[in-house]
Amino acid sequence: MEQLFNIDLKKILTNSNKELNERKKNLNLFLESGLPNKKDEDWKFTDLNAIIKKNFKTIVNNQEFTFHKRIEIIKDFEHNHIILINGSYKSSDFKFEEKEKVQIKSIKSPKVNSDYSSNNLYCLNRALTVGGFNLEIQKNYKCKKPIIIYNHFTSNLDNKIINNSNKIKLHQNSECTLIEYNIDEGCKFIKNTFEFVEIENGSILKSIILQKTKSNGYFYKSISGSQEYNSSYENFILSSGLRFNKIDLEIDLNKENSNCFVLSGLCLGKTEHQEIRTRINHLAPNCKSYQKIKNVLEGDSKGVYQGKIFVKDIAQKTDAYQLSKALILDDQAEFNAKPELEIYADDVKCSHGSTSGSIDEDAIHYLMTRGIELSVAKKLLINGFLSEIFENFSEKKIKNFLEKSMEDQIDGI
Amino acid sequence: MKSEEFKNQEYKYGFTTEIENFKAPKGLSNETIKFISKVKKEPQWMLDWRLKAFNRLKALKEPNWQKPKYPKIDYQNLYYYSAPKSMKDKPKSLDDVDPKLIETYNKLGIPLNEQKRLSGVAVDAVFDSVSVATTFKGELDKKGIIFCPISEAIQKHPELVKKYLGSVIPISDHYFATLNSAVFTDGSFVYIPPNTRCPMELSTYFRINASETGQFERTLIIADKGSYVSYLEGCTAPMRDENQLHAANVELIALDDAEIKYSTVQNWYPGDKDGVGGIYNFVTKRGACRGKNSKISWTQVETGSAITWKYPSCILQGDNSVGEFYSIAITNNYQKADTGTKMIHLGKNTRSKIISKGISAGKADNTYRGLVDIGTKALNSRNYTQCDSLLMGNKCGAHTVPYIKNKNSSSTVEHEATTSKINEDQLFYCNQRGLNQEEAVGLIVNGFCKEVLQQLPMEFAVEAQKLVSISLEGSVG
Repeated sequence: MEQLFNIDLKKILTNSNKELNERKKNLNLFLESGLPNKKDEDWKFTDLNAIIKKNFKTIVNNQEFTFHKRIEIIKDFEHNHIILINGSYKSSDFKFEEKEKVQIKSIKSPKVNSDYSSNNLYCLNRALTVGGFNLEIQKNYKCKKPIIIYNHFTSNLDNKIINNSNKIKLHQNSECTLIEYNIDEGCKFIKNTFEFVEIENGSILKSIILQKTKSNGYFYKSISGSQEYNSSYENFILSSGLRFNKIDLEIDLNKENSNCFVLSGLCLGKTEHQEIRTRINHLAPNCKSYQKIKNVLEGDSKGVYQGKIFVKDIAQKTDAYQLSKALILDDQAEFNAKPELEIYADDVKCSHGSTSGSIDEDAIHYLMTRGIELSVAKKLLINGFLSEIFENFSEKKIKNFLEKSMEDQIDGI
Repeated sequence: MKSEEFKNQEYKYGFTTEIENFKAPKGLSNETIKFISKVKKEPQWMLDWRLKAFNRLKALKEPNWQKPKYPKIDYQNLYYYSAPKSMKDKPKSLDDVDPKLIETYNKLGIPLNEQKRLSGVAVDAVFDSVSVATTFKGELDKKGIIFCPISEAIQKHPELVKKYLGSVIPISDHYFATLNSAVFTDGSFVYIPPNTRCPMELSTYFRINASETGQFERTLIIADKGSYVSYLEGCTAPMRDENQLHAANVELIALDDAEIKYSTVQNWYPGDKDGVGGIYNFVTKRGACRGKNSKISWTQVETGSAITWKYPSCILQGDNSVGEFYSIAITNNYQKADTGTKMIHLGKNTRSKIISKGISAGKADNTYRGLVDIGTKALNSRNYTQCDSLLMGNKCGAHTVPYIKNKNSSSTVEHEATTSKINEDQLFYCNQRGLNQEEAVGLIVNGFCKEVLQQLPMEFAVEAQKLVSISLEGSVG
């Protein structure tokens, strides 16, 4: 592991000796056990160790970069923005919002505390994190426009690793839509992100992850969320285009009437590998969770869904649903799923379904008899299959934008 | 002898038959294995095979990924072989069998004589580790069917045993399978010659009797080209406070156009209401559909054992082969079950179907864990999985852990699972018509399990239905 990772902690700006020691400790913990592999139940279908070893000879950390480019701003709808360069906070603009209602701070170094995680990537993150941002939406404030996080990666990142960590907090009765928009310049690098989300009573957070173009990046993102009374958290994962991507969601529904949605539509091209792992913990009665994962797999791509619903004994009247569907277009493509239920309460409605197969020949035949070309018919069916996930998305302009980017991806097939 | 007469008879030996046991030295060692092999009068190659497994075992660790955890087993404190002493020289017919043994069977409701006459089932009863009697041999012999204890097969049909033993569950498999390979004492061997339909349901009753004896049976069933066999396995065990380990291996091999149907009703001692005692049932069952158009079907009703941990699997190698798995797992009180299946599709046009019904009550945990793996070359394959769980009360758990892998574009995998409780309306409806709570639950649960119960052969279906109701006694209200 030490040969693969050529880490120099001196390159990271540290505030105190205590922090440096903490980083050292975490780094050693990581180097001892290395990257996760299939022996780890959470990585059952994905051998990250093998993937990284196959594609990287040495990995270095280097936070030095210069950035002068102008970021191309999305023009389809009005929005606020946050700009991150290589994971670090650069600037933000909340021009559509009231003053002091949306607050952002840059985080430079991790908090010093002694909790060590069994997740090795968390140790790695704590050892090397360059910070990130801390976003708070104030009490009773509903954001007027969505916030786009332009996550830009520079052109000197080959064989480098980026570690960052963000915090998002919605105070009581607030509302916000966040769009993470990843832009890079074709480098082959690793990104390891940890995000902590707190949603207080009556608040609503919508979060969308989107990839601008195809990328050679190897991304891992862990999101830990906690939800209070009557809150709602919607996740849209549309991050196709990366060489490797794993989104690891763990959400605690702490109080009654909270809802959680995970919706994903991925269109994976050659050599792409995407995994979504979720764990929704129903810890209070009357909560709802809904997961719908749709994958279209082309070439030798691989899609993985590992979803778990946990229902505690007091969480009666839980309504939990998991659905994973895959369209496999080529014989080299692979789809693996593990939709798991762990239930300790009896008055619940929990179900899951999983299907995988090829495009319906009859549907193709139907379209072709009506004069539609084979390739167009296929795209039409794929589009119908994927776009179902943002059917209920309320903001029209954003929906159109998402649909358009989905179409671009499908055209790439 | 009719069972009525037995009821009136005084049963002075209690529930455990007091037959002097003939035991191997305590503990797991080369000596124990040599002892077992010697007692069984095994040829050298068999002993070598066992020792090879034992060597492999030393390097293995007990698995710990499963949901039910259990106290550490002291393998050196177990007896690996025990046979009733009076059995040292095998009886030639039922008349030669120790009357005490017959008595125990009857107490358990397995009247050998009755069964032989009434149901036409050939019974190969295993009492602890040695087969007591084999019935209906003549009729099977005529067709060329071999149905005998595996120790006999090792001596009489070494070519078949050598060829197939360990070919589905290799000796280097997981810990408990390897343990079985090293120390297995008895079990059944079935060979159905080509183009033969076995004229009756073959059946074995396993029992665990002597204290501190883990039972390690080994069953090997081979269905040659174009043949058919249905095999029943039923289990009961007497009351005992100490946990007993049971690690059996069952291997099925179906060649071209052959079909094997394997049914199990398992009702071993589950421990008492506080979770004390009970059997550890760690069984490895695996079938290989080697030939084209072959079929293996597993049906199981699991109501007993403190911990059940088994995954009857199908390896679908032959083109157009079919694997089926029907399961009911009922857990009550402190019982734990972690069961399911593996369907490994390797051949073209292979199909598999999984229907699993789990019912938990009391403080029990019930897990379905299964794998459907469709390989790159298994074109046009299909799988359908349905697992339903029923929960009674909020102290128990129902879990579903399916692993699904699909590696080609022409195959279809479908999986569905639901978890719910008994519908109040249905209960009310039954109560209204004069059924009490317990009867109503029995009726509804039987309806819930119907799809699986239908798959059981007649001989088992009635017994199983009663078992389903009995297992849930005291869980409502």
